[in-house]
Amino acid sequence: MLEIAHLNKSFSLGGTKRVLDDFDLSMRPGEFVSLIGPSGCGKTTALRIVAGLLEQTSGTVTIDGSVSTGPSRDKAIVFQHFNLLPWRTAIDNVAYGLELQGMPKAKRMQVATEYLDLVGLTESAQKYPSQLSGGMRQRIGIARALAIDPKLLLMDEPFGALDALTREHLQGQLARICQERNLTTLFVTHSIDEAIYLSDRVVVMGVQPGRIIAEFHITMRKPRGDYNFRAEPEYAQVREDIWRLLEQQIVRAERVA
Amino acid sequence: MGAATAAPVADASSTPRGRSLADRIWTRRNGLRVLSLVTVFLVWEIWGRANPFFASYPTAILGASGRILLPEVLPALTTTVWALLVGMAISIPIGVMFGFAMARFRLIEIALLPYMNAIYATPRIALIPVLVLWLGIGFELRVTIVALGAVFPIIINSYAGAKHVDEELLDTGRAFMASERQLLRTIVLPATTPFVFAGLRIGLGRGISGVIVAEMTAALTGIGRILISHAKYLQIAELFVGIMVLGLFSLVLFDLLNRSQRRLTPWAATDGT
Ligand SMILES: Nc1ncnc2c1ncn2[C@@H]1O[C@H](COP(=O)(O)OP(=O)(O)O)[C@@H](O)[C@H]1O
Ligand SMILES: [Mg+2]
Repeated sequence: MLEIAHLNKSFSLGGTKRVLDDFDLSMRPGEFVSLIGPSGCGKTTALRIVAGLLEQTSGTVTIDGSVSTGPSRDKAIVFQHFNLLPWRTAIDNVAYGLELQGMPKAKRMQVATEYLDLVGLTESAQKYPSQLSGGMRQRIGIARALAIDPKLLLMDEPFGALDALTREHLQGQLARICQERNLTTLFVTHSIDEAIYLSDRVVVMGVQPGRIIAEFHITMRKPRGDYNFRAEPEYAQVREDIWRLLEQQIVRAERVA
Repeated sequence: MGAATAAPVADASSTPRGRSLADRIWTRRNGLRVLSLVTVFLVWEIWGRANPFFASYPTAILGASGRILLPEVLPALTTTVWALLVGMAISIPIGVMFGFAMARFRLIEIALLPYMNAIYATPRIALIPVLVLWLGIGFELRVTIVALGAVFPIIINSYAGAKHVDEELLDTGRAFMASERQLLRTIVLPATTPFVFAGLRIGLGRGISGVIVAEMTAALTGIGRILISHAKYLQIAELFVGIMVLGLFSLVLFDLLNRSQRRLTPWAATDGT
């Protein structure tokens, strides 16, 4: 479904800084993959290249067989800081992508209402983002992304700016939605627990340069909010393994910096 | 939001005690205002009667209003306002267009920004003599003074607003496949609106003072002439009628501006209602 091959990215600021080094990742349809790594390892950079917001230095991104070179209808992104348009009501934010595509007003309002319902914000349709809590704002961010019916959902630490309780609640909601709709999701996080909760596969990144150093398939039954998955031996094992890898990388990042 | 939190609030406001407390505070505040007003007027009346050529006094001003408000001040106000509104109507679209153009096109920015800042910093009063040479002392002069006063703050503010639109929001638009035009309409324009209003507010103030100065010094018409001519003959009460009408009218204009801003940027409302 998604095929990322030999992706390299360098930034030139005075000298050149190598951020992504031969980054390879392929995803099958309906798969939920988490990208986890220490801060500054290039997660956002990788996601932005896939989203088409940033150009790679070399390498290719292919979606369903066709090379992706910029933003397109078949992928949608959810941002860490929500990035809602403050001058649009909740429903108009959800309808934003559809409006840009030229969908007639009556039709896009109907679709937007459907997605507001999906994230449980029917009542808040006419509110502005400034009148809503962080958790509600991000649910609108998710509804906005889903409303364009993307093949690929990209999420950059979507719950990173939320408090722990809201975070847990939205994780459960997202797990349910992704499973029901069989969404292909690439999810960036720096929470090991969150990655295990949501993912079919957790991809661990190393720093300097940013590259993939390990992969873990999570085989516990989904949805994992329905039972105490943290009590499973698999949870403890994977958590421990990922933590060891990340710890090494964090030490390494500090040494180089 | 839930019924549980709404109930105690409803209880408190439905008891007579709760309401009357709010009422009492409100009444007391207004009472204080009336008291302050009465005191000021009383002192002014007494002091003014003793020094009639310094500051006049309320009853004299009231009398003067009766004499000159309709036959003299209102036609003068119409003259002034007409020039003010035409000048503002010219400077708003021009100001917004230049501001956006400078923010979006680097070449235009480099070419124009130094002039903008220089002209903005120059007192417009200094331009009146040369403008009289070019335009005479008629309607065009006053409109030009207003436009020159208003257009630069509008340009500078629209420019600053359009220049500093949140990059993350622009990226969001791009990710959802917005064209350049759509980015302009759905992000840059609304993000800049509050800045345009800030420019408008400064511009309106400069426009009002500009037209009055032009009327007092060169054009000798409108409210400016009223102020000058009554001052010349030491008709202090009449002079104060002119000042008050001008002040009141400015207040109305600024209030209109604030209202239209609230209408056009409802998302910026600070209260949660
Ligand atoms: N526009 C840019 N110019 C220069 N360096 C950048 C730029 N964007 C990101 N970087 C650098 O690339 C590295 C990876 O950043 P990022 O992808 O945001 O990491 P992460 O999301 O994993 O925390 C960081 O060291 C950052 O400083
Ligand atoms: Mg990041």
